[in-house]
Formats: sequence, structure tokens, C-alpha cells
Amino acid sequence: MKDALESNNGKPVFAMSVTDMHKNKTGSWRYMRPIYDEKTPPCIKGCPAGERIPQYFALVKEKRYQDAWHLILEDNPLPGVCGRVCYHPCEGVCNRKDFDETIAIHNLERFVADQNVGNSFPQRFFAEKTGKKTAIIGSGPAGLSAAFQLARKGHAVTIYESLAEPGGMLQMGIPKYRLPREVLEKEINDIKSLGVEIITNTEIGKDKPWQELSDTFDSILVATGATKSRPMQIPGEDLEGVSSGLAFLREFNMQHKRDIKKKIVIIGGGNTAIDCARSAIRLGAYVTIIYRRSRHEMPAVPEEIAEAEAEGVKIIYLTNPIEFIGNGKLEKIKLVQMQLGQPDADGRRRPVPIKGSEFEIEADQVMLAIGEVPKLDFLPEGVHEKWGRVDVDAYQMSNNKGVFACGDSANGPIGTVVDAIATGKRAAIAIDSYLTNQETEFVHYGKVVGFNEINLDYFKKEKRVKQNRNNQKEVLSNFNEVHLGISESDALYEAERCFSCGICTYCDTCLIYCPDVAITKAPDGKGYIINYEFCKGCGLCVHECPRNAMTFEEELKWRIV
Amino acid sequence: MSQMKFEIPEIELMKSGHVACPGCGASMAMRYALKALGPKTMVVIPACCWAIIDGPNPCSVNGVPVFHCAFETAAITATGIKAGLKRQGKDDISVLAWAGDGGTFDIGLQAISGAAERNEDIIYVCYDNEAYMNTGIQRSSATPWGAWTTTTPVKNPKERPKKDIVDILLAHHIPYVATASVAYPDDFIRKMQKAKSIRGMKFIHVLSPCPPGWKSQAEESVHISRLAVHSNVFPLYEVDDGYRYTISIQPKKVPVRDYLKYQGRFKHLSEEQIELIQQAADRKWDILMKKVEMGELFMQN
Repeated sequence: MKDALESNNGKPVFAMSVTDMHKNKTGSWRYMRPIYDEKTPPCIKGCPAGERIPQYFALVKEKRYQDAWHLILEDNPLPGVCGRVCYHPCEGVCNRKDFDETIAIHNLERFVADQNVGNSFPQRFFAEKTGKKTAIIGSGPAGLSAAFQLARKGHAVTIYESLAEPGGMLQMGIPKYRLPREVLEKEINDIKSLGVEIITNTEIGKDKPWQELSDTFDSILVATGATKSRPMQIPGEDLEGVSSGLAFLREFNMQHKRDIKKKIVIIGGGNTAIDCARSAIRLGAYVTIIYRRSRHEMPAVPEEIAEAEAEGVKIIYLTNPIEFIGNGKLEKIKLVQMQLGQPDADGRRRPVPIKGSEFEIEADQVMLAIGEVPKLDFLPEGVHEKWGRVDVDAYQMSNNKGVFACGDSANGPIGTVVDAIATGKRAAIAIDSYLTNQETEFVHYGKVVGFNEINLDYFKKEKRVKQNRNNQKEVLSNFNEVHLGISESDALYEAERCFSCGICTYCDTCLIYCPDVAITKAPDGKGYIINYEFCKGCGLCVHECPRNAMTFEEELKWRIV
Repeated sequence: MSQMKFEIPEIELMKSGHVACPGCGASMAMRYALKALGPKTMVVIPACCWAIIDGPNPCSVNGVPVFHCAFETAAITATGIKAGLKRQGKDDISVLAWAGDGGTFDIGLQAISGAAERNEDIIYVCYDNEAYMNTGIQRSSATPWGAWTTTTPVKNPKERPKKDIVDILLAHHIPYVATASVAYPDDFIRKMQKAKSIRGMKFIHVLSPCPPGWKSQAEESVHISRLAVHSNVFPLYEVDDGYRYTISIQPKKVPVRDYLKYQGRFKHLSEEQIELIQQAADRKWDILMKKVEMGELFMQN
């Protein structure tokens, strides 16, 4: 070819191509422009703590378990705890549920935490000290989460805990068969490694006055949780044998008190009720739960209810106690049957007693688990409360400047470990901006990817993994953990199942289908570059993207700048 | 593993800047074919869309030599080039005849029949966009029954079924015949690589969506191709030695309606007409399955 050109002054001797078409900038044809535009997957928005689930799955797929752990920690310092006890609202909104089965996010979180039991926090979590000091009252999930986030920003944190051991409800409330204490201890120690000081056996208002805190610290965070059992307010509540469920759990979990009666009745349908029931049954009792609404309205996690039933707990629905009967000591409970009436404020149907349906059952012991309220008598005068909780604004701050509240002791989302962690994180962000006089920046989620935006052509139906568990008979004789997590191969399989809604997984689909060869891999291997000089804007890449990580926009929007 | 993963050669011989319409299936097909065959390839292009897409003289987007030839001569020109290369001792260069449906089904049929009968050592790819798209969407013998083209307007849509080119080629007893789709680039590339490794005449029939001619959206091209496979309108299979049939992609058996609805050229069809197309697709699949069985029977004996 070279010879042919040279023999004719550089011009081809016959019709022969000497160049490609790089001068033909076909990008000028385009009136729509594809862009890489990552969106919010429903799981991230569904997780109160906002864990970046598909992103840490991507690291799991590469077997980078330590990096995956670090990524979870950014939003939640207690993955080992949450991987066991969280009610996983993320799974409820997972897009995969409409295709085959929802991704076992809960199990994967635990898997990542379990892979890192021997590891400590990465260097980047240790920030330079700012000299600002924050006191946190309560070492439960809310307090720990806030302490972690504040310490990571370089603020000095001191936590005051009224009980002998830190952990709050995780320590005193949640039974060991759900959460082995070494898991909790490990994660608390990790938080302590950031310089967080936890002072136990110190109740504010009793062992230490509030004034001392407000004098020493730049800000105070109330994270005491809801620890006071609500009374039933019916006759016979003062009989021997009628006690609070939470008190039973606390005494059993922290002081190993095992003396309970044989025939136990638990009143309530929340997680405390289930925890009491499953603990009592392990101590050899016959357990009946009395709940005033139907199973559908029961606030406990459905899996927990099913497990309790499988372990032999009897649940009587639509029934409410009206009197505890006994002569100094509890002997019988008088119950009345209920029916569901009109929905009340929270949308659940209000139970109404059925006249003449009273009946009695025998019981040696009653545990009340109809809800807990915060104990806020240590607060100084003038701090506003709302429904027995600290009334906080959007930045978790009370009307008293510098006093913040989170978790169950503040109004807002309450009740579960992950809600506590989420509000703790929120409070920490707000406290940080309060201490440093900066704008508060919470994460704002953009467009959430819906199921119909997933390109199902790229996925095939597959079964969800099943968690290993201990033998049913054996778990009832001791407090060993019931669930054992998932194997590495199962974890990899499950991470691979994830649609990764709205988050690019570098699957090359866009690059492969581009008819104009206008897409190339980014030099660092993470992502792609579109050559807009040649992209004709056909939209194939956007349309074929399996996970809606791209958007097709009008070109005009880009041309007028 | 849940998600399809592509195993595709990294090499990019075809460059940007070509003049195919946005969403053109033929340009995707060429990209995959050259990825599969590599730089030691010569391409012969008769009159067809690709005669334009490649660029005007003296430009060419394909990073390999391209020979433009007359409409009816793709197969015989490729034969000649291969003979010349062989004479020069450059037998390792694959010669690819790359023609549209017009140049294969209609105008080039005599040449391809001749080359196939002589079992010339070439790879012939027909990228089938089911009409003379380049000259303004006139019907060809590859246009499916019922489709609109400028010469088969809505009042008189095409009344004859699509010619079965694969069976015509198989009747020549050539070593390798396959169908392929731009929606399955890995399958297409595997078939091209297999064709490269086989001596003798190879024929690959690629369905190539044409957004202007099919009156479809540019971004739907791959989706439509995939539906063509899964509705049995264009099943993917390969035939070795003329009798061993293998299904490449097991169809999900979606109704043909799903395939037709994305294309304006079928918009005028009545329910009864769609039902007829459905029956034809089902029948085609049943016959194909019988052929697979027959092939298996031959292999056992």
C-alpha cells in the first residue's frame, strides 16, 4: 500500500481507502445524550441507617471482605449486631422480591461482620482531635452509633451508662440466642478504640447531676432509650408474680437470674414479648402470649413470631387481660375476647372487647410487655417533651440549645435497633455541624429505582440462600445462638444475585452493545467513558443497562450552558 | 451466577465515525464479526447498507481491507480473493463476504449457490434487515409475511412468507450453517470463530434490526432482536456437516405479538393475522425440533 501511494505523489493509484472516518464526528447527529447516572436502590433508602448495600456487595463479590466491612461501618458501627437482630426493612423493599425472592441482605451483613471478627478499624477512622467534647447518656445502639460518628470526626466522646455493662437494650434486652455477647463486646471495643470513653454504673440525675454535664461538655446527647415498662392499669397488678417483661430480661441477661415459675403468661405482641417468651421456654416454662389484636397487627418481626411458635410458644390472639386474680400471689388471669374495629391513628385496627366473652386461665407468673416508655426525669426543667419523649427538631436538637436526643428517647422513628442507629448517626451529623458551626448536610436520596426499571432479560430466576441453624431440639435446652449465618459460597452466590439497582457493576453491557464503538472503559477500570464526538444518541446503552445506572437526557440541556 | 456475563474479545477493529443510522443492527454485527475474526481478515461488501456505512472513498471504518464489489458478486469475489491469497501462500487470512438480504436472498443467490456448491473456503455472512433498506425500504424475498415496506404498503402488505435461506444453503451440503443475533454477541462471536476454524463454505445468517425500515425505536434494537429469538421468529441454531442441528439459545416462547408490537411495520396487522404469524413461528420451531431429533438419530447410527 505504501508503494502504491508513493508512486503517485501520495495519492492512491486506484479507489483505495487511506484513512478511517475519524473526521466524521457523528456526535452532531445526536439529540438525546446517554449519561452514567447512578440512582438510589430501594434497599439503601429502605435501610434507616442508609447502608450502601449494593456497593458492599460488589466488594463481597471480589472477596474484599475487609473493605466491605469498612463500607458498612461508615453508616453503621454495629454490623455484627444488626446482621443478627435487625428486622431488615431493606429486604422488604428489595426489587428482587417481585422477580423471585428478595436478597438475603441481612445474612450478608452478618457474613461480612463475621469475616472481620479479628480485624480492627481502618486508619482513616481515626481523625485529628477537634477539642470539642460531647456527653452521651446511654450506651445503647443510638448512643454507640452517635459516639462512633462523632469520634470519627475527631470529637471527644464520653458515654454514661447506668447499668454495669454497656450496650443498652442490646445488652439487657436481647436474648443471647439471638445475639451472643462476644459479638456485641467486639463491636463496642472497636468503638472504644476510637477513644470513646464509656463510664458504666453511672446514672445521670442520681450518680451524677445534669448540671455537671452541661458545665463540662459542649453538647449533650440523650440516648437513654425506652426502659420503663408501661403498666396495664388493671386490678391485681400488684400481686406477686406480676412483673415487667423487660425486668425479667434484664435480670436474666445481666445477672443470670433463672428463677421463674412454670406457667408463664406474657402480655403483648412486640419484640420484648417474643424475647421473654423464647427465653422463658428455654428455662423450661410453659409460655402463652396474650395479644389483643390479630397476628397481622403484631409489631414483632414475623420470623421471630414463627420461630417462637415453632419452639412451642402458644399465642392467643384477640384477647386482653382485665384482671389478675389471686390471694397475694397470682393464680388466674381474667381475659376478654376482642374484635377489631375501625383503624386508629397508626393505621392498625383498634381492638374492642366483646361483651360477655370473659374467661379465665391459670398462671403462676405474668410478664407485661405492652411497650416501654423513656425515663426522662433527669432532664432539666424546660426541655420540651412530646408523648413522653424528648421533642426534637429535624436536627435531633431539643429546644435546649446543645442538648440533642436520639433513639427511643426522642420523638421520631422508634422501636428498633436500626432506627436507633439511624437517629444516632443523624444526631452525630447535627452535633458535628453544631460544634463546628457548619451547615448540616444529611444524605438526600435521589430517584429510587423501581422494579419495572430493571432489565429482566439479564437475570434468571434463582433461589434465595437459607441460613444455617442449630438443631431445633438442642437450641431449646440452652442459650446458644439459633442461627449460624451463611457460608462463603452462599454469600458469594447471594451477592451475585443482587440486581444492584441503579449502581453500575461494570458489567460491560453498554460497551458491548454500542453500535458506534463510542464507549470505552475508564483507565482505572471503574466505569466507562462515552465519546460524545461519535455517540449518535441511539440510546441502546441506556435501554439495555440491566440495572438502570444510566439516563437518557435531551441534548439541548447539555448544549445550552 | 445470576447475571449474563459477556465473554467478548477486547480488540476493536471497526472504528467510530461510520454512517450507519443510530441503533443500526448491521453496524453492531460487523463490530462483533471483526472482533471474532481478528486483523487477519479481508471483507468483501457488495451493494448494501454496509457499502455506505463503511464511509466514502478514500475512507473506511473497518480496520481491515474491504473490497467493494457489484451487487450480485459477493460470494464469487470472496472466492477470487481467497484463491489469490492462497496462491500467495497467505491462506491464514479469512475472507468474509458481508452482504445484506438483497444481495443474498435475491440478487446474489446465484453466486452464493455456486460458491457453496464448490465449497469455497469463505465465510459468508448475510446481515438480514428484511428489505432493501439502503435504497428506501423496498421489499426483498427476506421481508416477512405481512410486513409493510414502501413497495408493500399497508393496503397490500407482503403476501408471501420469508424465503428460508438457511435451508437453501443446507441443500448445498456445506460444512457449517448458523443463525445469529446481535442480541447475543457472545453466541455470534463464538459462531464466527468456529466458522474461521472450519475449511470450506460457511454461512451465517444474522438478523439485523433496522430502526428506520422497521419503524422501531433505535434503543429497542437489541430488545427486538432478543424477542425475535424468544418468540421463535428467528431461532438461534447451528448446523454442522449439514445434519447436526444444535439449538444455541433455548427460547422462552414469548408470543410473537411481543416481537411485532415494537415495530411500526407490523402495526396494521389484525388479530387474525398476528395469530397466523404465531402459527407459522410455532410450526417453524416444531420442524426445527424434528430436524434436531433427526440429526441425533443420524449421529447414533
